Amino acid sequence: MQDTFFLVIFYVTAAVAVLSTLLMISRLNAVHGLLYLIVSSLSLAIIFYLLGAPFAAALEVIIYAGAIMILFVFVVMMLNMGHKGVEQERQWLKPGGWIGPGLLALVLFAVFVPALSGGLVSTGPRLVSAKAVGIALFGPYLLVVELASFLLLAGLIGAYHIARPPEITGDDSDSLTSARHHDDIAIEPLQGAG
Amino acid sequence: MSYGASLITHLWPLVLFLVLVIGLISLMLAGPYFLGSRRNARATGEPYECGIVPVGSAQYHVPIPFYLFAIFFVIFDLEAVFLFAWAVAVRETGWAGFIEALVFIVILLVALLYLWRLGALDWRTFRQKRDRASVLLR
Amino acid sequence: MSSITANILNVVGILVFVVASAAMLTWVERRMLGIWQERYGPNRVGPFGILQVAADMIKLLMKEDWVPPFADRFVFVVAPTIAMFVVVAAYAVIPMAPGIGVIDLNIGLLFFLAMTSLSAYSVMFGAYASDNKYALLGGLRAAAQMLSYEVFLGLSLMGVVMLAGTFNLREIVLAQQEQWFVIPQFLAMLLFFIAGIAESHRTPFDLPEAEHELTAGFHTEYSGMKFGMFFIGEYVSVLLTASMMVVLFFGGWLGPVLPPLVWFLLKTSILVLLMILIRGALPRPRYDQLMAFGWKVMLPLAMINLVVTGVLVLV
Repeated sequence: MQDTFFLVIFYVTAAVAVLSTLLMISRLNAVHGLLYLIVSSLSLAIIFYLLGAPFAAALEVIIYAGAIMILFVFVVMMLNMGHKGVEQERQWLKPGGWIGPGLLALVLFAVFVPALSGGLVSTGPRLVSAKAVGIALFGPYLLVVELASFLLLAGLIGAYHIARPPEITGDDSDSLTSARHHDDIAIEPLQGAG
Repeated sequence: MSYGASLITHLWPLVLFLVLVIGLISLMLAGPYFLGSRRNARATGEPYECGIVPVGSAQYHVPIPFYLFAIFFVIFDLEAVFLFAWAVAVRETGWAGFIEALVFIVILLVALLYLWRLGALDWRTFRQKRDRASVLLR
Repeated sequence: MSSITANILNVVGILVFVVASAAMLTWVERRMLGIWQERYGPNRVGPFGILQVAADMIKLLMKEDWVPPFADRFVFVVAPTIAMFVVVAAYAVIPMAPGIGVIDLNIGLLFFLAMTSLSAYSVMFGAYASDNKYALLGGLRAAAQMLSYEVFLGLSLMGVVMLAGTFNLREIVLAQQEQWFVIPQFLAMLLFFIAGIAESHRTPFDLPEAEHELTAGFHTEYSGMKFGMFFIGEYVSVLLTASMMVVLFFGGWLGPVLPPLVWFLLKTSILVLLMILIRGALPRPRYDQLMAFGWKVMLPLAMINLVVTGVLVLV
């Protein structure tokens, strides 16, 4: 009884994941697409949980749904394209653009399916607790974590230098004077101190 | 009992709870649809801008550097997740794990300090920066 | 069979408790703010104005179900749904007393963090869908603030996880039988408290809704029940932060003489009142000060707290 329930929930979640990903690709409005992408990653998290990886499930939500996609939504909000974006997307989604790669990918998939069906042995879901992940990461995989920290460091500094705001000498409308000498100029009293 | 079956027996109250929450929210959304009044005056369909006639379009661009902090957030969140894994296994991994986590934290603190020194964590406007500079000089 | 009935009672009871107390909090807050500011607050409807909640509810239900014609209709409705869903769903993992609580997840704390990380969507989608200048500004501000404070929200809790050695909230409470975690983790408690207030964007962290600069921020265009859902979401999130603090730092239901549930509710209400007092007492900081405070003070403190706790646990 419960086993059937488990299978039903698994397949329904898997179907939701596939469907929402397809819908994500085909939406014209970027934010609608992102909504489906969030649903897709949430259903992936449920699948992780069902397959016995609760820590991975939590990370899927915290990192993908809760951080990376927030970054996407944030950028979409900042660009604030409105209807221009929808028009552009409509042109890009014409079949001429995607039908070639789509068909080729289908061929690859057809070759891949027989390879998948044989030789793989399913051991069924088995619980890997958060503690086990921690022990593995900070035990045998010690070096990998340190490498990850270097990667994060590089990402942090790289991102800042690529997107750095213009220097105060830049063409911002806010600075009223040539800002090269901004230290010498006596200006109005401190504002907005409340 | 198999793993899947035990999962279901364990999880169903959560599922029921979430379904009930969704039901409650749908009720709250549907209620006003049937009960609410309907009015249509001259300015009903206009964006609210403190009671004056709206000016210009709401499709303005936000300066790109503002998205920097979202990048910082993603990276520090990833870092935090590594530390989540350490926190739960701190006794099991012992001092070796501690030293590793220490190096990890120090590298990211250094990154934070670097960004701080560069002024990346400074959200003042140009005007505020300029004023502060002159005040400090006086 | 009896365990199934108990579970159903638990689920329904906690849902009713959360929503009803969030609704009551709207009255409690106005009343307490009134007392602290030497005025009356709502005192007309029913004894001490206690039926004000019911009156508000009826009012919200009778309001027009209005979606601005210029708005993105679908996203406009999704935003308040997310606002309310994530905070109420996060309450599922809170263990209120032995045998009372929706579910006892092994990753309970991570579930809470996951749900709070999703709550930023409500303000962003609300702001995007409204297609209004104030809403967009408020939404960007809200997103920036919530994300900045979310970073150390999680990190500050890891000290508790180290001491208890688990993400399971029930086990964390049981690990506090000898000593509440507020004593070794006082700094973390303060960090979490501040982050919790910022996550629910209440004063002094209510810049996203700062009414004299942004009218109402991200929910400028919202009215009626959809606004009510944002509102209830905010109060549930107050309740959630207080309950989470009780569970993690103040020994949950543990306490002498009185029954466990009473202890839990007592501690939670004291913290909720404290949050209301903070709203009545503190001014709002400037935006850049708020962001700098999060990144330059709270985040390094959270990391240092983690290292020190690690040493203390291992020694």
